[in-house]
Amino acid sequence: MLRRSVLLAATLGCTLATGAAAQHPGNPHSRFTGFLFGDITFVATEWDRPEGFLIGQLVGHGNALLTERLSFFGEVSVTARDDSYGFEIERAIVRYDFADFFKLSVGRYHTPISYWNTAYHHGLWLQTSVARPELIRIGGIFLPVHFVGVLAEGTFPASGLGLSYEAGIGNGRGEIISRPGDAGDANRRPAGVFGVSLRPEAIAQGLEIGASAYIDRITTETVAADELIGSVHAVWQGSGPELIAEYVHVQHDVEGDAERTSNGFYVQAGHRLPGRLASLIPYARFERLFVDEADATFASLEDYDAMIGGIRWDFETLAALKLEGRRDRRQGGDWMNSLFVQVALVVPSFGSVGF
Amino acid sequence: MRTATGFGHLRALAIAIALFALPLLAGRPLHAQQSFPVAIVVHPNVSIDNIAFEDLRKIFMAQQQFWSDNSRITLLVRAPIATERNIVLQRIYRMSEDEFRQFWIAKMFRADVASGPKIVYSSEMARELVNAIPGAITFMPLDAARGMKILSIDGKRPGDPDYPLR
Repeated sequence: MLRRSVLLAATLGCTLATGAAAQHPGNPHSRFTGFLFGDITFVATEWDRPEGFLIGQLVGHGNALLTERLSFFGEVSVTARDDSYGFEIERAIVRYDFADFFKLSVGRYHTPISYWNTAYHHGLWLQTSVARPELIRIGGIFLPVHFVGVLAEGTFPASGLGLSYEAGIGNGRGEIISRPGDAGDANRRPAGVFGVSLRPEAIAQGLEIGASAYIDRITTETVAADELIGSVHAVWQGSGPELIAEYVHVQHDVEGDAERTSNGFYVQAGHRLPGRLASLIPYARFERLFVDEADATFASLEDYDAMIGGIRWDFETLAALKLEGRRDRRQGGDWMNSLFVQVALVVPSFGSVGF
Repeated sequence: MRTATGFGHLRALAIAIALFALPLLAGRPLHAQQSFPVAIVVHPNVSIDNIAFEDLRKIFMAQQQFWSDNSRITLLVRAPIATERNIVLQRIYRMSEDEFRQFWIAKMFRADVASGPKIVYSSEMARELVNAIPGAITFMPLDAARGMKILSIDGKRPGDPDYPLR
């Protein structure tokens, strides 16, 4: 397993390193660009969890524009485990761009049911904070992080509202509900996702508001339930401020049981300091998760509250140091303190460094 | 759940690491302000002659990736240090060099775009590629754009006193 993972990582690295050299001389549109994202986090915590230095995910991402309209996006990750490394295909998308307002793709996605899930993916360097909010945690079950199927998306740039949409149908959650149905749907009812967002630049540069809905049939060894998820988000990311707020409502209609609802939200605010301190972003986040204890689908989930404060320092263009304090609790228990120091970076393939 | 044994030492270590880095907080030099007209140049077959500044911004920000005839827009951007690049970053992107680079990495990682801008290393290279690639758009000093298809911005030519890109 370890050997295979190392080989895969090496292959990935070599592929990315070829970067701009992969342009096809006969096709002016053909291009390949790749990135590697990595992070190392030092953790000290009052929780009964591993402390010390943690090797985070090594994430490889490649974009290949094959023709004027056909492209491929791939994202793979290598994650440190106790005795090995875990390899995962995070995203693999083949897309045909008919026009700005209609792009059709098929593959494995980060489900567009949460802003965070599709804005930051697995690149910790991209996000201001050390970790994702609990409601969209990688490996979590509150929201389906991945989606396998077909997706139509588009934007209407001529509209002053900056309207965009996404609509997809495919395999819903797998029998292990933290995972998608990579090898086929867990039942005969496909999952559907639809989202719209507005970016009204005329009102405020960097403002985005949106809403999404997701429906699925969950089938596990012990539970069968219809799932309906609704989410709304508001984001403002200008050259200085960063405000991200998201609310999610999850409803499960369990066979032979009452309707169960759970909710979660977070609000994160940060601000890039002005002038010579522009490499610093102090930030804070408050988040809560309310889980219906009687929901058999979420039997392993607990209520969660967290308050986070930190500072991100972009000490180089492609690397950031984050110092973050977290105070959180589960199921209304005692508040626990944790401290994180994280170095996160991105390595672009040469040829893209000229951005 | 366990007690806070050892937490204080580790917290101190973490803070020390952060403090150790503080002396490196030197900030980054600001680009000197220079002013000359920067022409927006397109492939000869691009069907427009004039563009609204906000539409130009949408193209450079990759919010619009196709022309009205549905051909793909290929953005050519000068490599860092060139003064015309600084003007475009300041006027169109409203970003610093670091923000600009981070913007494109994020854009590609999110699969918002199939590729980032093509980087050109001279005005000559920009002239050659913008004429060779259908749907291409780039920018260059007005003096270097003679004989090329230059777009007006909001009806203003690069030589006009109130031209927005200088």
